[in-house]
Amino acid sequence: MNGAIPGAQRLRAASAGNRVLGVLIVLLIALTLGMDQLEPLFRALFPDLGNPLYSRDSFLNLMLAHIGLVLMSSLISVTVGVAAGLFVTRPVGREFEPMVSSLAAIGQTFPPAAVLAIAVPLAGFGFAPTIIALSLYGLLPVIQNTIAGLGTVPQATLEAARGNGMNRWQILRRVELPLAMRVIIAGIRVSVIINIGTATIGSTVGAKSLGTPLIAGLVGNNLAYVIQGALLVGLLAIVTDLLFERLERRFSFGR
Amino acid sequence: MIELKGLTKTYAGKNVVDNVSLTLDTGEFGVLIGPSGCGKSTTLKMINRLVPLSGGRIILNGDDVTELPAEQLRRRIGYAIQSTGLFPHWSVAQNIATVPQLLKWPKSRIDDRVDELMAMFHLDAAEFRHKYPHQLSGGQAQRVGVARALAADPEVLLMDEPFGAVDPLTREVLQAEMRRVHQQTGKTIVFVTHDMDEALQLATRIALLNGGKLVQYDRPIELMVKPDNDFVREFIGQADLGLKLLSRRWVHQYQREPSLEHHATHPGLDHCWQLDDAGRPVALEGARLDEDHEVTEVKPEWTATPGMSMKEALSRMVWYRVMVLPVVDDAGKLIAEIGMQGIMGIQAENGTQAS
Ligand SMILES: Nc1ncnc2c1ncn2[C@@H]1O[C@H](COP(=O)(O)OP(=O)(O)OP(=O)(O)O)[C@@H](O)[C@H]1O
Ligand SMILES: [Mg+2]
Repeated sequence: MNGAIPGAQRLRAASAGNRVLGVLIVLLIALTLGMDQLEPLFRALFPDLGNPLYSRDSFLNLMLAHIGLVLMSSLISVTVGVAAGLFVTRPVGREFEPMVSSLAAIGQTFPPAAVLAIAVPLAGFGFAPTIIALSLYGLLPVIQNTIAGLGTVPQATLEAARGNGMNRWQILRRVELPLAMRVIIAGIRVSVIINIGTATIGSTVGAKSLGTPLIAGLVGNNLAYVIQGALLVGLLAIVTDLLFERLERRFSFGR
Repeated sequence: MIELKGLTKTYAGKNVVDNVSLTLDTGEFGVLIGPSGCGKSTTLKMINRLVPLSGGRIILNGDDVTELPAEQLRRRIGYAIQSTGLFPHWSVAQNIATVPQLLKWPKSRIDDRVDELMAMFHLDAAEFRHKYPHQLSGGQAQRVGVARALAADPEVLLMDEPFGAVDPLTREVLQAEMRRVHQQTGKTIVFVTHDMDEALQLATRIALLNGGKLVQYDRPIELMVKPDNDFVREFIGQADLGLKLLSRRWVHQYQREPSLEHHATHPGLDHCWQLDDAGRPVALEGARLDEDHEVTEVKPEWTATPGMSMKEALSRMVWYRVMVLPVVDDAGKLIAEIGMQGIMGIQAENGTQAS
């Protein structure tokens, strides 16, 4: 795809991308640490609200809790998803492929709120049910892309790997995974971005996140709270997405 | 040396390779040929055990291949295929270094070997070392594929239609290179093709397969002049046997001293070469079909080299209407000449070919 773009132009595009990413990261940190400084602005925008700045918890705490939720659940999604994708693409697990794929697809069709509702009676309120819901939810893109990514490795490449005396482990490590990595990372990217958004509803079952001010705002009819939460969640999602984009590009091997 | 003994492969009750026995001595260039689906690739892949045997044995330099660990066996055997199978995420140098890496050679030895192979295949190291496979032309990629197969100095080189997907011009260049590499390295090669001209160009032994069975296993000349049956005759094609024969003969076998002065009394030597100070031929006096061009300027297009086939030499004589070609060395210096008489002197019977 990028092959058509001449080197200089590609470099220029990359450096412009770097600047955008840099600005967004600075903005994300500044807003997380310094939302209080904007109190006059929110007061001016929402003169009717008695308390236009969410203050039951610091935005730094909320941000860290949010990132913690996403990290934890993504770690589970990626570990389980990549392992499952690897398993069903090996000779021993090939027969399980249709089952695993459809299970993951079904998991995705449940609305996250429903998964939460089911998880609460099983795991109680708070962190645990949110993690369960998020990891289940993030599983599908990882499994799907792991299978798809490994499927893009050309047959001739695999035959050459075997013919040159690589054992199964070496073929996986040196050939299949590097070649599938770009697609796998694209799946992880989707999974993480979904979870950054979905983690907000964890606050409905008592898991602290950037959803906390958002939900509080919705319940208490406080639009300022909603904006403060949504702004940070949105920025976090965009920055994460851009970071993943750069990570993916590392695995394009000159193409 | 490779010995196939009663080699058989069965898929769904059908023998796609059926009791094939043959011996290929060290240093021979063996070509497996036959119609599509006759079992060439299957036979080849049984040698490095990419395909497990159903019956029979394969002995590689005294070792039964089924008794060696598969990976260890494959590191002793080079393998090059039509679609190259180059690793797209590795540079040319990394691709070539595949087997030495697996064998854990020290880095300096690997680097030296990569340079050596790139030189052997006329790939400029500075330019190509760090390129990725998708940045190569078909011919360059194929060279890298063969270089990779040769990297760890394997006992045998297996090649499955390696030049099947490149254009005819490039294919000829690669064939000539392959012949040179075979002569330089003395490798035992098993080469699969369905192109008889390619087989005749390269082989010192040809195995013709049909329906999984070995039909005839012989030197190329024998196959042409003593076909065992009609299938062989038909497969080789009777149409231009004489030309096929010429494609097995090399200029250096029939070249003679260049004529540097006129010998009016010797028919066929009634011409002479004019040389420049460096000994390069610049013009030919006489020996043209159309007499009004008494002196002809020598052009690279109708110059021969010792490694050129007699078929190509003949083709150049006919096309450029000269009775004699200058034979030059790498520096372009006149070392010999090759004439029509040399070509007419070739006989099907006259000896076994130089390999
Ligand atoms: N894995 C397999 N399962 C079943 N049949 C196979 C398999 N591999 C090859 N065959 C069959 O075995 C026969 C020989 O195949 P092979 O690939 O050796 O032919 P080939 O001589 O190399 O042909 P081509 O010139 O088309 O490459 C064919 O009829 C093919 O359909
Ligand atoms: Mg084949």
